[in-house]
This record gives sequence, structure tokens and C-alpha cells, in this order.
Amino acid sequence: MTTVDGLAHGLAVALQPSVLIYSLLGAVLGTLVGVLPGIGAMAAITLLLPITYYISSEAALVMLAAVYYGAQYGGAVASILLRLPGTPQSAVTTLDGYPMAQQGRAGVALFTAMISSFAGSMLGIVILVLLAGWLSGLATSFGAADYAAMMVMGLVAASTIGEGRLAKSLAMVVLGVILGCVGTDVNSGAQRFTFGQVQLIDGINLVALAMGLFGLAEIIGNIRKAERDGPPARVSLRELVPTRDDLRRMVAPITRGTALGGFFGALPGTGSTISSFLSYALERRVARQPERFGKGAIEGVAGPEAANNSASITAFVPTLTLGIPGDPIMALMLGALVIHGIQPGPMMLEANPDMFWGLVVSFGIGNLFLLVLNLPLIGIWVSMLRIPFRWLYPAIIIFVCLGVYSVRGSTFDIVMVAAIGAIGYALTQAAFSPALLLLGFVLGPLIETNLRRALLVSRGDPMIFLERPIACGFVIATFALLIYGFVKRSDQGSQASSVAD
Amino acid sequence: MRRDLYDLGWGAALAVTGFTVAGYAWASYDMGSLRRMGPGFFPVTLGLLLAGLGALIAIPAMSRPGRFRPFAWPETITVVTALLVFGLALDRLGILLTTALTVLIASSVAPRGGLGWRLVLSAAVTALVWVVFLRGLNMSLPVWPGAPR
Repeated sequence: MTTVDGLAHGLAVALQPSVLIYSLLGAVLGTLVGVLPGIGAMAAITLLLPITYYISSEAALVMLAAVYYGAQYGGAVASILLRLPGTPQSAVTTLDGYPMAQQGRAGVALFTAMISSFAGSMLGIVILVLLAGWLSGLATSFGAADYAAMMVMGLVAASTIGEGRLAKSLAMVVLGVILGCVGTDVNSGAQRFTFGQVQLIDGINLVALAMGLFGLAEIIGNIRKAERDGPPARVSLRELVPTRDDLRRMVAPITRGTALGGFFGALPGTGSTISSFLSYALERRVARQPERFGKGAIEGVAGPEAANNSASITAFVPTLTLGIPGDPIMALMLGALVIHGIQPGPMMLEANPDMFWGLVVSFGIGNLFLLVLNLPLIGIWVSMLRIPFRWLYPAIIIFVCLGVYSVRGSTFDIVMVAAIGAIGYALTQAAFSPALLLLGFVLGPLIETNLRRALLVSRGDPMIFLERPIACGFVIATFALLIYGFVKRSDQGSQASSVAD
Repeated sequence: MRRDLYDLGWGAALAVTGFTVAGYAWASYDMGSLRRMGPGFFPVTLGLLLAGLGALIAIPAMSRPGRFRPFAWPETITVVTALLVFGLALDRLGILLTTALTVLIASSVAPRGGLGWRLVLSAAVTALVWVVFLRGLNMSLPVWPGAPR
């Protein structure tokens, strides 16, 4: 199928009323959770996962994706008005967005964030289509060894690029892979770590794990933190209009941010948060007057917002064409696809063109909708910021309980979520990353299957990972990342301890 | 804190977990060979890997000063209790009473005290559950105490 045919086909899918309505619903919900500090896209997507059992697979994925990119729009609102990032991706936006708001230019900052997000997403879609076609062609020549090596590299990349100590990040990944082993072993049929519990035969429930780690753990940590004093300023429509000078300053940062985000989003292991930080650093480096940054430079809002939206679109490239999620949110998307009986991978473009092209076109529709809707509705989003967290979290707890219960009508799962939530909070509090745990959990079974298949093919010779050029490249990249991570961390470690002294 | 007790404790806990996983998998499942891996091979390897990483976290933490980080004990206990109550009460009290009760428990740790707003919130969330989950999504749930689904 050519790209033009594909897009036409996708348009037909995405414009079906039953799909369109979920795309719009997802976009609005996403903006809402992005605006509200204390709940992120991760928690929202987890909460919605059980509901997707009730709708078609296209509608489900389109909605979950819309929540993801909608949250990127919403996240900027809280960042700019309260200096409180609604999502981790928009943390950088606080640096110049909040000073702009203090100078009475909140409206312009919001407009910049919206238009940059839109431009970043649209160009991200173009990159997605180009890369996906190329990569799925390339990926048909991938063998089991190549897949196993690539997934290991993805996990190592995610651990080295994140914050904190390398050993702690890797430990979370390994713990996640171990949790992924629980249940029936697909190769031998043996029951592993089930301890005779019938509920564990299918493994630990992805929804229960994600709800505990993200829904509950975030609530526990935020009950005291997210309570804010003082309402944000009001923003009227007229204040949104930027000056000609503002517009001129935006163009280059948006272009650079989109390119950066498009590239890093497509790599497994890196994600939209990293892209927005890199874009900010780049803008400050190329600026004629770098001292303006941090004091309300419009470039510092435009670049990162374009970058994180572009990255959130191209993050679908490895997920859909290789079946390898690059970040934890994509891991949930992959989980949702598998729940609906679709195995993402190089064959997906051929086998499920409805899903692939429908998603691509829905990205465009959803983003257009967000731009058209969010600019006039900005007042409503701003007033959402006035809702105190104490009104929200008890309701979220009920949604968590009902969401988990609805998966298979089991109160055992609710107890499990409670335990996972407490552990998840304790891990976050000790500076471990539960996101990496989830990534390991989703990728673990895939790695094991491919590893065993690769060694079966090579008759037990581990040299297969060095003899196949693709696998060998990934192995070398993995070791390079480990060395880089080790050097970087020991660097930071000595700096941190000198500061502590 | 003279030592980084968080990393020390967690590193040790992860190392113990790793060894337990590896030992249990070694004893219970077939290892197989490299060519034909048994169900035990992958977990044993991972367990040992986790044990090693746990040691890498714990050992440097012994000679490094740590910073105390507050742990939200009341919030953790209350939220966990709320979930347990929900799980236990659902089949006995029905969804509406369970929701109201759970919200009352969960909101008890909110930074602002007082019973009034909590009662209002609990009524509002219960109404929301009725509209969204019972009327909207038609989920099969016990509605009232002793009621069949």
C-alpha cells in the first residue's frame, strides 16, 4: 500500500463516527489530566485501559493515543501559570513560561505552547509515516537474535538516559523483567512463581501493576504536595495574540525542536521528556543573547513544546513497526494492542492497515481539534487549575478500584493494587524509577522468547549475537551506553557529594 | 544521616530478592541447556543479575552520607486501607455504599480537615459512579447490600 492510499484508507477509518468520537474524547480527557497537576497521562491511560475492553480496537488505541498527546498540550498550561508541571514532559516549559506569565504575558506563552505543540505534532506525523515505512521494510530482515539484542539495548538506553544512579535504574528494569516471568511460561507451559495461586496463572495483570505504580503511588506522594495556595491569574482570549516579533522568534525554535524530538522520540529508550530538555539546551546555545533564557524567552517555550509533541508522535515508530515500546507509556499502548489481539511488528502495516493508518490520520485530526478547541477554551482549562487536589484524589481512588475490578471481576486484584501502590510509592521515595520497572515488565517476556529462539537457531552458540551484523551493532551500542552511563554517573556522583559537603 | 540508609536498605533488599528468585527458580524449574533453555534459565540469570545490582547499590551507600527524605506514612496507610475496604466491602455492601465509605476514608488524610466537604464529596463521587459505571458503561456490579449482580 502506498502512502497516499494508506492515508486515504486511514482517513476513512478515523472519520468513522465511532472512532472520531473517541479521538475527540481522548483529546479532551488528555488535556484535562495534563492541566491537573498530580495526574499524568500515564495514570489516565492506565485508568482508561479497562474501559477499552468495551470498544473496538481502533477506537481504543485512537483514544489512548489522544490522551497521550492531549496531555502534552494540557501540561503546558499548569507549567506556565503555576510553575507546576502538569506532566514531566512540560517541566522545561516552566523555565521561561512562568517568567512570561509573571510579566503579564501568560496568554502569549500559552499561545506559543499550543501553536508549537501543534506544529511539532504535525511534522512529527510526517516523520512517523516516512520512518515507519522504511523501518518496517528493514525490520522484515530482523531475526530473533536481532530483536533480543535491540530490546536489551532499549532497556539499557532507558536506564542510562534517565536520572539517578545507573545501578538503581538497571535494578528496576531487571526487577520488572522478573515480574514479567510470573505466570505460565509460553515455551514450556511450566507455571513460574505462581505459588499455586489461580489468579497468577496468566501472570501479573498489566492494569493492576500500572495502576499501582502510577495511579496510587502518585496519589500518595501528591496528597500534600499538589495542594496549592492562591488561584492562578485569569487569561482572556485577547491576551493570546502574539506580536509580530513573537511570531518571528518562534519559527526557528519550532523547526529545530521538531527535528530533535522526531529523532529522539523514534529511538527506543529515549522519550519526549529528554527531547524537551535537549531542545531547551540547544535553543540557549544557539541564541544570540543566552542571558534572556530563564527570564521569559519565547524560544524557551516554543522549542521544547515542539520537541516533546514531535517525540510523542514518533515514539509510535518503534512501537508499531518493531513491537518495541520506547517508553513506559508506549509499553501501555503495546499492552492495549495485545489485549485487542493485535501483535505490533513489521507485519502490522500489511496485516492491520486499519489500525496503523487509522492511528496516523487520527493523530492529525486530534491535534487539529486540540488547537481549534483549546485556544477558545483556555479560560476553562485555567479555571480547572482552581480545583484542589483533595477533591480529586478520592474520586481517582474509586476509579482505580473499579477499573481494576472490571478487568476480570476479581477483588484479589484490588488488594494487589494496594500492595503494588505502597511498594511503588516507597520506591519513588527512595529515588527508584517505577517507569523503568514497567518497561522491563512489558519487554521481559518478548526478550525471553526471542533469546530462546535465537539460541535454538544457533544450536546454543551465543556467538550468534556477534555474528549477525544487526545484532552485533545493538550489542556494541548496549556496551557503549553502559560505559557512557557509568562515566556520566560517577561524574555526577562526585559533583553531588562535593555539593553535599 | 552518616550513611545513605535508603540505598543501603533497598540495595540489600533487592540483593536478597535476587538470590531468593534465583534459588527458588534453580530448585523448582528445569534449567535446560543453552540450546534448549528450560523455564528456569531466564529467572535464575535475572535473579543473579538483580543480586549483583543490589550489591552495587548497597556497597557504595555505606561510605556515602545520605539525606533524610520524609515518608508520607499517614497517606500511604490511609490509601491502602481505603482500597482494602473497597475490596472487602464491594460484594457485601454493594457499589454505592462501598464508594461512599471509601471516599470518606480516603479523604480523611487531606490537608484540610472537617467533615462537611468530605460528606459532599462522597455523595458526589457516589452519584458519578452511578451515572458513569452503572448507567453509562452498564458494568455488572452488586448495587445494594445483598443484591445479586
